Amino acid sequence: MSEARPRRAASQWAVAWRRFKRNKSGLIGGAIVVFFILVALVGPYLVPYPARSYQSLYEGDAGDPPSFKHPFGVEVSGIDVFSEVVDSTKNDLYVGLAATLITTLIGVAIGALAGYFKGAVSDILLGVTQMFFVIPVLLLILLFARVFSVLVFKGLGLTLIVLILSFFGWSSIAFIVRGETLRLKEMEFVQAARSLGARPFRLLFRHIVPNILSPVIVIATLNIAGFILTEVVVSFLGFGDPNTSTWGLLLNEGFPYVRTTWWVALFPGLAVVFSVLGFNLMGDGLSDALNPRLRE
Amino acid sequence: MASLVRYIIRRLLFMIPVFLGVAILTFFAGNAAGNPINLIRVGLRNPSPAVLRALEAYYHLDQPVWLRFLYWLGDVLHGNLGVSISGRPVLSQIGPWTFTTLELQVLSLILAVVIGIPVGVFSAKHQYSKTDYAITSVAIFGYSMPTFWLGIMLIIVFSFYLGWLPSNGAVSVSYPWWGSWALDPIAHLILPTAVLTYVSLATIVRLVRANMLEVLRQDYILAARASGLSERTVTYRYALRNAISPVVTIIGLGFGAALSGAPALETTFSWPGLGYAFTQAATNLDIPLVQGITVVITVMVLVANLITDLVYAVLDPRVTVQ
Amino acid sequence: MDEKLLEISNLRTYFFTEAGVVKALDGMSLEVYKGQAVGLVGESGSGKSVTAQSVLRIVPRPGRIVDGSVKFEGEELLTKKEDEMRKLRGRKMAIVFQDPTTSLNPLYTVEKQLTDILMLHKDLSKDDASKQALHLLDRVGIQDPERRLKTYPHELSGGMKQRIAIARALACDPVLLFADEPTTNLDVTIQAQVLELLKQLQRELNMTMVMITHDMGIIADMTERVTVLYAGKVMEVADTQTLFKSPKHPYTEALLKAVPSVKQTRALEVIPGNIPNLIEPPTGCVFHPRCKYAKDVCVKKEPELERVEEGHYAACHFWRELELEGRGG
Repeated sequence: MSEARPRRAASQWAVAWRRFKRNKSGLIGGAIVVFFILVALVGPYLVPYPARSYQSLYEGDAGDPPSFKHPFGVEVSGIDVFSEVVDSTKNDLYVGLAATLITTLIGVAIGALAGYFKGAVSDILLGVTQMFFVIPVLLLILLFARVFSVLVFKGLGLTLIVLILSFFGWSSIAFIVRGETLRLKEMEFVQAARSLGARPFRLLFRHIVPNILSPVIVIATLNIAGFILTEVVVSFLGFGDPNTSTWGLLLNEGFPYVRTTWWVALFPGLAVVFSVLGFNLMGDGLSDALNPRLRE
Repeated sequence: MASLVRYIIRRLLFMIPVFLGVAILTFFAGNAAGNPINLIRVGLRNPSPAVLRALEAYYHLDQPVWLRFLYWLGDVLHGNLGVSISGRPVLSQIGPWTFTTLELQVLSLILAVVIGIPVGVFSAKHQYSKTDYAITSVAIFGYSMPTFWLGIMLIIVFSFYLGWLPSNGAVSVSYPWWGSWALDPIAHLILPTAVLTYVSLATIVRLVRANMLEVLRQDYILAARASGLSERTVTYRYALRNAISPVVTIIGLGFGAALSGAPALETTFSWPGLGYAFTQAATNLDIPLVQGITVVITVMVLVANLITDLVYAVLDPRVTVQ
Repeated sequence: MDEKLLEISNLRTYFFTEAGVVKALDGMSLEVYKGQAVGLVGESGSGKSVTAQSVLRIVPRPGRIVDGSVKFEGEELLTKKEDEMRKLRGRKMAIVFQDPTTSLNPLYTVEKQLTDILMLHKDLSKDDASKQALHLLDRVGIQDPERRLKTYPHELSGGMKQRIAIARALACDPVLLFADEPTTNLDVTIQAQVLELLKQLQRELNMTMVMITHDMGIIADMTERVTVLYAGKVMEVADTQTLFKSPKHPYTEALLKAVPSVKQTRALEVIPGNIPNLIEPPTGCVFHPRCKYAKDVCVKKEPELERVEEGHYAACHFWRELELEGRGG
């Protein structure tokens, strides 16, 4: 008889998804990310020139500005910028996603342990987390990247960078996870589970961890953006892998000749800006969707 | 007051193991090939015998690893950073470089804070307005781009295309920019400062805005308004005061991050500071130099953090209680 | 007759959010006479707090008063300029908020929070203001006031914090006090103390108090007249005793049934359903989806506030026909 629409009981995730859909900038970010993923997966098969190819040199197009044949121009060395930018997409995304995956695992583990247990273990973990948070991480990454890339690890390629980034980049997640664990530990549903005889690790991973997913997802998404930016710096300075196309490597190759071939610096940079922007916008959108702040 | 002092001492004590941690990591990097000399040889096939002898003594190569670390740490703490592969002592070169880097970093930081905080407050107070969207969009682009790349773009436009500003160095060599030796350094400062300020601004505006929005939602702000306090008092003495503490922390961390970004930014502008020197040293595998710079930058970052902690504690006394 | 201190007529306060327009107050009226202790009762989300915020015109964004009239001491408040309103806030009218943990500024000492207001409205020197603050703490029953002045809110218990919030509200002897769920966030034992304090202060200062609450027990204890609010509209207005003995609106009956008492032998009745969606409120009578007496006309036509007898009004199509259960005492 009533005309008021009944409230559909909705799961936490359904509500968040609905909220995310309403967030314009979050959707734009998501669209950009999807676009780049598609480029990464399909692009390399569609580009005119294979990766790291100097073919254009033999065609006499070296150093040419953007044209129909070379939409993003050609490097002085004969490398077609457009093909390279597209090829690099999968590599940059690889670094961003892989490093985020590893740091999230490390961060959640360390953060949860630090938050759940009391005493020396927890204090040491907290101290280590704080240390990695405070130090000039990029500087050490650059140092490690340079030093290790000249040694036996040459065969690892970008994976070396991923490992170095992962070693240094887990502290932001660990902090959030520790904070949330501390908060949730005292909540009633945890006390209830404990009163039913659940042992610490079960409590930790079956009850607490699922509830910290929201902030972790947000930070992880933003971390992808950060890791891509870091990779760009590492490769730009020449400390990355010279055999794998990345946007940073392109900037490294283009910079010495930027006065005459400015397109080599512009387009890879734009690719970085938009991919990072995409992840940042998506992260913000997720943050708004997963953390309701409206008073009603 | 006493709790403030105790808090600062606690933070100082915390910095010590952090410094040790970085020292260990830096030492480890230098010894990645067994010992630093091996690594140097990868980059420089035949270092000068004099330099080799000096470095062999400095690194105590005949000792086991852990003793080598302690010797090196001891040297570092006494200011002895060894000699670079060029033969020149590391420490003596670091002074001028540090000044040049700080010139750029501190100026940008001040500008970013002075502009960023009011803009962030404005943006928060006018949430959902067109200006707010504009500011937020400009800010989000700011921290989505590599700082050095923005530098390259500005160089292309303002140096190569328009010719208005210089593209490298901190001072000109033969001919002063704008015809004046007094104005010349300023001309050189403009582009790198603009780049660094913009990127720092982006983070600060975003953070101030987010915190202000959070604080303005609080009951005590509503209560302050209910007490008849003017909008200006409520915004600045109540809301901003409560919103600013996390911003202070981020400014401190941001300074550390900016210093970390110095290698790329200074390389782009050939800015003769610690960052540029770091890049050259790392590229040349000049291990003593690169280790020395890393240590110096780390110390600067830790000092910046301590200052930040102090300011934070003054603003928000809650943090001094354990 | 006593003079009318506050007269709210047909007040509409809407919140313009991304999800839609939330009609927090949709044609609400209230009359308060000087010296009265009046109750404003309803569930969370009924618009009670928004009423107090609307009177002081501090409704937070994205809320706005869109229609109606609020007369205080005979003067229309909605047309006043902002700096005129500011002179009234804290000085002639004040609010005690629900949660003292969030309504007190965590970064300022107790002293500063009190002296700020004293110096603002009363033009006192810092020393005089401090002395006044001390006196205020004493009046709200705080032991060892000299020491408490220098403490920060996070160092105090809930009950003490609320006393300080009350002291802050009363700093300049306002004639009208809104107490917005002042005890909801406190322990039960402390609740009684704070309510007792409010009663005592109201008597001593001959202050007019609007007690905003969802708790009928507090209404019975503290007020002489009460307005029942639901989804931003007035359901019933009456003297407290009359409302309890013979309620004329189904919602009032339901609220009364939900309060436990020692003599109770039957089960507590919970009001079925949830508060309505204020963006798209139900048609006709706002309460009809949850009303066990609802008929066709309730879905189609919105009832007006009709006079039951002198001083007693109800907004229900069937107040004459329904035999509703009240509570004896």
